[in-house]
Amino acid sequence: MAEGALNYDPSKNYDDQTCAQQRDIEKAIADEQPLVSDILSFDELKTEYQDDEIFKLKIDDLKGRYKHMRKTRGDGNCFFRAFGFAYLEQLLNNNTDFPRFKEIASKSKDELVALGFPQFTIEDFHETFMEVIEKVEKKCTNEEFYQLYTDQGISDYFVVYLRLIVSGHLQKEEDFFIHFVEGGRTVKEFCNQEVEPMHKESDHIHITALTAALGVNIRVEYMDRGDTPKCNQHDFPDGSRPSVYLLYRPSHYDILYP
Amino acid sequence: MTNIAEARIRREFKEVVKSDEVAACNIKVELVNDTFNELRGEIAGPPDTPYAGGQFHLEIKIPETYPFNPPIVKFLTKIWHPNISSVTGAICLDILKDQWAAAMTLRTVLLSLQALLAAAEPDDPQDAVVAQQYKENHSIFEKTARHWTAVYAGGPKSYPDLDSKILSLKTMGFEEHQARAALSSKGWDLERATEYLIN
Repeated sequence: MAEGALNYDPSKNYDDQTCAQQRDIEKAIADEQPLVSDILSFDELKTEYQDDEIFKLKIDDLKGRYKHMRKTRGDGNCFFRAFGFAYLEQLLNNNTDFPRFKEIASKSKDELVALGFPQFTIEDFHETFMEVIEKVEKKCTNEEFYQLYTDQGISDYFVVYLRLIVSGHLQKEEDFFIHFVEGGRTVKEFCNQEVEPMHKESDHIHITALTAALGVNIRVEYMDRGDTPKCNQHDFPDGSRPSVYLLYRPSHYDILYP
Repeated sequence: MTNIAEARIRREFKEVVKSDEVAACNIKVELVNDTFNELRGEIAGPPDTPYAGGQFHLEIKIPETYPFNPPIVKFLTKIWHPNISSVTGAICLDILKDQWAAAMTLRTVLLSLQALLAAAEPDDPQDAVVAQQYKENHSIFEKTARHWTAVYAGGPKSYPDLDSKILSLKTMGFEEHQARAALSSKGWDLERATEYLIN
C-alpha cells in the first residue's frame, strides 16, 4: 500500500490507536482512584513506601507538622482538583474570606469574555462554578460538599473553569509570564497547549497564576528524592501566609491539613 | 450519554444554527437522530484553495465524556489533503486530539477544519502519500485536490486529461474510485498506477 520507503498504511488511523490507549489508561486510573479520597493518616501513606527510607523520613516530617491528608486522582488535573477542594472546604468551615472570593469569582466571567474567550462556553462553565460556590455559601454539610465535589461532571466543570482563570491571568499578564514559557512559544500557545486542555499537568507557572488571579495563597510541601530528611516548602506568592496546603510528590498533588 | 454531554450539545447546536457562519452558508450542522450523540457537519471549501466551491460533509460523534474529550470527527466526503486520510477521512488536527479544551465548541471545530483546508500542515500528516506529493510536487497536488473537489464535493473545475486517464483504467476493469486513488498517489502516471493496481 505504501509509497516508497514509507512503511505506512493509510487505511489505519495511528492517532486513533494512541487516543484509545490513552483513554484506557485514564479509565484504569478512574476505576482505581477516587477524585478526592477520604481523610487518610500519614501512616497509610507510608504503606506505599515500605522500602523507601528517604520517603519514610519525609512522611515523618509531615506527620510532625500536619494532621492528615487527602489524596486526589492522578489524572493530570490533581493540582486544580486539590486546590478547589481544599479551599472550598476551608470556606465551608470558616467563611471570613468568602465575600472577597465570591466577588472575584463573579467578575471573572466578564474578564474572560473581554479577553476573547467564547462567551457561550464561558457562561456554561461559570454557571456551574458559581453553583458550587453558592452551595458552600449556603453552608451545606461537609458530606454534601464532598458528594458534590466528587461528582465527576461537576468536579470536571470546576477544574475547567479554574484552568480558564489561569489561562486568562497568564494572557492578561503576558509581558511578565512570557519569561517563564519554555520552548519559544507565545503565552497564548502555552495556554492552548498546557493550561486549557484537561489532564495537562500543572507547574510553578500555573500555581503562580492561580494564586495571583484568586488571591488565595498556597504552600506546597515538596517530597522529592533529595536526601534531606525534611520536605522542601514553597509558598505562592513568596513570603505570603498560606491558606491552602498541598503535598507534591513527583508529578502529583494531594491535600494536606495543618 | 451523560446529562452534561447532552445538555451541552443541545445548547451548542443552537449556537451553530444561529451563527453568522451558518447565515453565510460557510458551516452547517444537522442531527442524524434525536439522541444528540451523532451529528452531521458540513463546511464550504475556502476560497482561493483547491477546495473552493466544494461542500464537505463530516461525521461528528459525541463521546460520553464530552466536553472534556473532543468530538470524534471524520470527513465523509472524499478529499485530497495532507492532514486528512484519502482512504478513511480521518483527520489529524491538534484540537481534535491533545489540544482539545472544554471551552471549545462544534462551531470552533468546524471553523478550525475550514482553516485546515486553507492551511495544510504537511509536516504533521495524516495521509503520508498526499503529504509527500504536497511537498515534492505541489502543482500536481493542487490539480489532484481540485479534481477530487470537483468529483466528490461538487467543485467547479474539471480536467479532461485526468478524466481520460481514469477512463483508460476503467476500461481495463478497475473500479472508478480505485483508479482515481491509484493515479492520484502515483502523480497521474498511467503506467505506474496500472502497475500498482495489478500488484
